[in-house]
Order: sequence, then structure tokens, then C-alpha cells
Amino acid sequence: MNIPNYFLSDLPKEASLTPSMLSDACYALKRNRAQYLSPRSTDELIRTLDSIGRQWLLPEYPWRKLALERGPEQLHFTRQTLERGLDSFFRELTGEKMESFISAELGHRHRLDDLVMTGNEHRERRSGMARGPELLLHITAGNVPNPTLMSMVLGILTRSAQFVKCASGSALLPGLFAHSIYETDPKLGACIELAEWPGGKTDLEDVMIAEADIVTVTGADETIDTLRKRLPSDRRCLAYGNRMSFGYITKEAISGFGTSQVVEDAATDVIAWNQLGCLSPHLFYVESGGRTTPDDFASLLATELDRREQIEPRGPVPMNVATNIASRRSFYEVRAAHSPETRLRASPNSTAWTVVFENDPTFILSCLHRFVHVKAVENVQQALRAAEIVRGKVSSVGIAAAEDKAHQLAVTLARWGATRICPLGKMQTPPFAWRHDGRPALADLITWTDWEQ
Amino acid sequence: MIEHQHISNYIAACQDFIRRRGSATHSESTDGEFDFLARSLFRLQFDGLPLYRRFCEARGATQDSVSSWQQIPALPVAAFKEFEVTTINPRDRVAVFHSSGTTAQSPGRHFHSAESLVLYEASLLSPFKTAVLGDFNELAATERVGSPDKLEFLILTPPPAQVPHSSLVHMFETVRREFGANDSMFVGRLDPSGAWEIDNDAALFALRRSMCANHPLLILGTAFSFVHLMDRLAVSNIRYKLVEGSRVMETGGYKGRSRALPRPELHELIARHLGIPASNIVCEYGMSELSSQAYDLMFAPVVEARTALTAHSNPPRQSHTDNVVPVPRSPVSDNDAGVRRVFRFPPWARARVISPENSLPVADGEMGIIQVFDLANARSVMAIQTEDLAIKRGDGFELIGRTALAEPRGCSLMAAELFRSA
Repeated sequence: MNIPNYFLSDLPKEASLTPSMLSDACYALKRNRAQYLSPRSTDELIRTLDSIGRQWLLPEYPWRKLALERGPEQLHFTRQTLERGLDSFFRELTGEKMESFISAELGHRHRLDDLVMTGNEHRERRSGMARGPELLLHITAGNVPNPTLMSMVLGILTRSAQFVKCASGSALLPGLFAHSIYETDPKLGACIELAEWPGGKTDLEDVMIAEADIVTVTGADETIDTLRKRLPSDRRCLAYGNRMSFGYITKEAISGFGTSQVVEDAATDVIAWNQLGCLSPHLFYVESGGRTTPDDFASLLATELDRREQIEPRGPVPMNVATNIASRRSFYEVRAAHSPETRLRASPNSTAWTVVFENDPTFILSCLHRFVHVKAVENVQQALRAAEIVRGKVSSVGIAAAEDKAHQLAVTLARWGATRICPLGKMQTPPFAWRHDGRPALADLITWTDWEQ
Repeated sequence: MIEHQHISNYIAACQDFIRRRGSATHSESTDGEFDFLARSLFRLQFDGLPLYRRFCEARGATQDSVSSWQQIPALPVAAFKEFEVTTINPRDRVAVFHSSGTTAQSPGRHFHSAESLVLYEASLLSPFKTAVLGDFNELAATERVGSPDKLEFLILTPPPAQVPHSSLVHMFETVRREFGANDSMFVGRLDPSGAWEIDNDAALFALRRSMCANHPLLILGTAFSFVHLMDRLAVSNIRYKLVEGSRVMETGGYKGRSRALPRPELHELIARHLGIPASNIVCEYGMSELSSQAYDLMFAPVVEARTALTAHSNPPRQSHTDNVVPVPRSPVSDNDAGVRRVFRFPPWARARVISPENSLPVADGEMGIIQVFDLANARSVMAIQTEDLAIKRGDGFELIGRTALAEPRGCSLMAAELFRSA
């Protein structure tokens, strides 16, 4: 299948972008938005997105097929990993979920269409209307595609023209998603532009920064700091910097029949997007004292990862990644030879998966790509003391706990500062209404107009 | 601790090997002897280092199962950070070399006894002489360089008294004592934070003095110290042309202490500001956990070396070498760009490039992790697995660099700190 050249990211690799090409693109985007997107109703946009989302779930949908054909080569994810990741995103992209999301964030699902009153506003005779930015610039990190797809959906819902700047080598899925929008609704597709260039091309980025009303940026903290310094003071910037996640498993959860499910869920979180997203767990804290010891849990997890490797393989990784894994493995191999407090379990003759068990609860970052730590703890207080060094940087905590204990556990984690608590096995499949890094994803994009009657 | 007599016997045998093979041009002929010494040393270290023994046993390697040096398990270099990888009794330790230049991270430590220090020095001298000094003595003899019998060294690191735990500086001091002229000097120093910096006035003085005296100069330093020096020269737009025969020995990474430059770019700057062409720049690969070093010009035949050395001066002077067909000194040419610098160890150390996926040796032209088997590492562990990437090139390797992410994400400087304080 040949992809038409609708977007800058469709141009051949050797074509180089110039600042004037980008200014032209911004002009066209704003014009198209005024003509085709601004007059649309929320209901109409939701219907279109819902229809596109349903099609993406069909195995024979050409854009999905293309994603699965080209993804393994271009993105270093295996077909199975891509399938699982795409499904997790598009299953959430339903009309119902989008409607309730808008209602939850803005108080009413027609807030973006008209001046609307809700609740107490009736008594105060005050109504409000939400407007999205004219041009939204997304600077994406490119480690996993779903956050970029989500940003694009938010841009459409807020009636914004959008320019998606992809990190080198990561434009495939956002590009195919944009094409699927274009195919379904060319006028809507004409309000999106995508391009790919390595970060730091300031001549290109400065054009975009000057044109955009809001910049969303996902990436390393340093990247964000550098970008912020270049933004005019009146430009709104929604930055999503370095975050990490971990799992917490209570002793009750691994003391009965549910143990194998917990192990399977933990493996699912490690496998999803090869652990590369900020929602993926670096480690699992496992409570001692249950029928399954933390070390036994690590052993079961290793067996499960080995089984899953057969059906959902990780796939090849770049040389520096393999070297990191090999180096860290050998480091833990030395530690394990020295003390029974450390155990290393790893895929033979490949770097496909690694489980490091340690009795020491100190939080440690994984080198990812299915390399996970299991750490024994007495209770959640001990785990959180050990994780103090990453406090404020934790996105999700996936928990496995009996219902009676789960609520108290969640409150403890929330007070500590985790921004999302979810069941183990769901860490990389946030719901549509997920508040990214604890912030309202849609509400942060809009500007209100209040009418006091 | 291992029986003292055995290790002393080994060290004597190793020193003898180094003495005999120090100027050998090929390592193939030493296979049998290397293998014998490697297995002898493995047995001593297996016995004498419980940590290493358990590591080997976990891999299924014992004294009996290892029948060739290739089967000796290589200990990850990171082990030097966490454990005392030494067979030397605390009271016999006379020196310790650290891998880290900062206090933020616990450094790797390589302990030496008086005896092992002598072996370290023996191991470093003759390869240095061949690779770095090369044809200098002959050039001097034929009066092609206006020099006394010894080359003047300009060393860009702090002197040993200021950085007693740097194996690199210990090496520089050893070669200076052995080969350097009296005027040789260290021009590095510690800044208030303990970081290494260059005393620019002293460096400029030494550069000018060598030109006034019409003496060639050997400048030794780390890549980042050269960047600092080039930055200083660039500020004043200084473009010297050092006396013919002048040369550079450059080693090590950047570790966040200066802007990192690709090697060819740095070499271009050195050529621009000092008039020393890439063909007179020797790169060294070493680390505090090793006792031997690899060079990218190892054992270059003298005639070829001279041809390359004089290639940049024009017109070529008349000499008996003029009827020698000029052969560019492989693998280096005057222009570094696009040229492979292939590193080789001396005959008493071997490098092997292994696949990170399955730990098997890679084929020629393939990339992998460097393992070094260093017979001169008598009192620590002979077989070391580094965290450096290289491409296997024949019996040598092309260095690709240190793996940037060996430590957890978000703390990338730590990865570099695993290595010798450069």
C-alpha cells in the first residue's frame, strides 16, 4: 500500500524541512481550522473519532495492517506488542467514553459548543464556554506511541489545528492515525500536520513555537527545561517530563488461588510496550509473609515472562540497549554470587527478559526492555520510605491487594504523591479519562469565557 | 589470601614474558605461552578470591573445567565498585587506583602491592615506547629532529602527588621518568571542587618553549583535557606549528567534564591549533581495573611510521628513506575522518569482543562488548568484562565508546563514572 503525501512526515527521508515550509504549513493549518474545524459540533467530532476507533480494532483495517507490517522494523516493537498496544488505545476511543470525559473535565459535554450552565451556575446565572487553542504544537518523546495519539484526539476535541513534531523514527503510528482521520474526514485531516526531525533543530522549532498557542511536550526533564527557556513568557506549555512507575503486591494477593493471576498481570505490565512507557513498572515491591515469598514471586514471574516470550516476543533491541542489559545482568550476577539476598533470573542466550530479586528495598530504576526488579518489603510504609528518592516522579502504582486492604493502600499511595493507582496488569492501559501526570488533560488545554447574566 | 610464593613465581614468569615479548610485532606466536600463563593465573585467582570463585562456580567454571584462556569467566568491571577485588592483604597494599573522579559515586578500586605495581609499570613501558615514541629515537639519531636524546613531555593532567589514586597519572609519571626529558611537566591541577583543570599559562609556556628550542614535544592527556586546551587556544586564535616529530597521546572519555567531541573533530582541532597531524596522534585505551593498555598504533613498523610522520612536512627532506615506497601507516592517515583506528593490546593481554545477547565472540566486523584478559592483572582478576562497545577488527578492535546508559536512566553521568578517572 502506498501512502499518499498528505503530511510532511510522508516526504522521503532525504527531503529536508525548512523554516518557510513550516510557516506555510502553520498558515494552512490555521486557515483549514477556521473553515472546517471551528464550526463543528462536539457530537459530530466524537462520532467521527468513535468510528475511526472502531475501525482500528478490525484486523483487516488497512491502516492497522500497515502499522503492524511496518511497526516491527521502524519502531522495534514486535507485531504482538503493537497489537496489544493499539488495542488498548482504540478500545478506549468510544463515543461514550469521550462524552463522559468531556463532561467530567468541563462539567458539561457541550461546553465546547456553546455557553452552558451547570449545577450552581444556574443559581448564579453564570454560564461558561470553553475554547481550545487555535494552533496546538505537540513535541513528542517517541518512546511509546499512545500518548501522541491521545494528544491528537484531545486536539481534535478542542477544535485545534495541530502540528505534531515527532522524535526521529517515531512518526509511523501518529502518521497512520492521521491518515486514517484524513481518509474518513479529509477536512478534519487537513487540520493536522506531522513532521519528524531530531530535537534541537532550533530554526525549525522556533518557527513552530512562534506560531503555536499552546505547546505540549513529552520527554526528558532536560529537554523540557531547554524548551521552556525558548518559549515566550505568554505561551502556555504543558510539559510531561521524566516519570516512572512501580507495582505493589500485598502478601494476601499471593497467598491463595489468585497468585498465578497476579503473576500474569505483573508480566503483562512488563511486556506492554516492552516496558518503555512512563506507566511501565521499573520494579515490583512484594510483601513478605505470604504463602508465596517475594523470591518465589520473582521465580514465578521469570517463568511467566519466559512463557510469554514465546507468544509475545520482545524482539531485537539496539546494541547499546543489549549492552546495558548484559552489563547490568553481570553486575547482579556478581552480587548474587556474593550473597543469597540477590537472585538473577534471565532468558538464556538472549537479553529478552530479566528478573532481579533483592531483599534490599531501595528503589532502583530498571534499564527497561523487559528488565524488572522484584524487591521484598514488610509493608507499604517501608516501600515508600525506600522509594523516597523518586517521590514526586511516580506516575502509576499498579497494585494487587484484597478489596478490604486496597482502599487504605490507595489512600496511602495517593497521600504519598502517586498520581495514578490501578490494578496490576493495567498499568500501560490507562482509561481515556486518565489525568496525565495528575493533571486534567483536556481542561489544561482550554480557555474559558464566562458570561455573567 | 593466596600463597605468596605462588603469586611471586607467577609475577616473575609474567615479567619475563613481558621482557621477552615487549617489542614483539605479532601476538600469534605467543598463543601457547599466553594460554599457559592465563590458566595459571586463573587458578591462583580462583583460589585466592572467594568472590571470583563463587562467580565462576555460578557459571559452572572450575579450575578443572577451564582448559583454555577463552573459557575463563570475565568479571564485570562494575564488581570493582562494590567489592574489594584483590588478593592483596590490607597491610601489603601500597597503592589503590580509583575509577571515579567524583565523590558522588563509590569508585571502582584496583589495589596494588609493591610487587604488582612493578608488574604494572613493566607492562605499560614497552608498549608505550613502541606506540607513542615509535620512531623518535631513530629520528633523533638521523638528526631529522633537532632534539636531545629525550623527548619533552607536556602532560595535561595534575601531577601524581595531587591525584595519587589515578592509574592514568601513575602511568604518565612512569613513562615520564623513564623516557621524558628533564623539562617535562604536568600542567594540570585540581580546581576548588576537585575537578581537573589545566594551568593554561604553564601549558602555553611549554608549547612556546619547545618551539623556541626547536624541540619536538609529546603532549599527553585525556580527551577532555585536550578539549580544554583547544578551547583556550581558540580563544586567542592561536595556531602553532610544533616542531616536526611532535606528537600527542590521547585517552579516555569525557565524563561530562567538557563538551564531548567526536574523535576526528578533536584531532582536527589538534591539527589546527598545534600543527600535529592525526597521523601523529596516538590513542590509548585503558582503565584503572587493567594493568595493560591498548594503542591504535601498536607496533607500527619504523619505516612506515616515519613515512607517515613526515608526510605532512613539505618538501620532504632527502634521506635514505626516500626510495622507500610511502606506505600510509595503517590504520591512521593524516585525515582522521573516515579512518578506522584499530586498538591492539600487547602480547600479554588479549581483547575479545562478545555479543551482549549470548556472550559468544562476535565475527569480524561485528559490534559487541569488550572483554580483556590481562596477564599483568596479577593481584585482582585477569579476565574483565568492560562496559565498552567495539567492533572486532582482526586481532584488534575499533572502539565505539562507553555505553552511555550502563547505570539507571536519569543518572547517565554515573555510567561514565564507572570508569577510570580520566
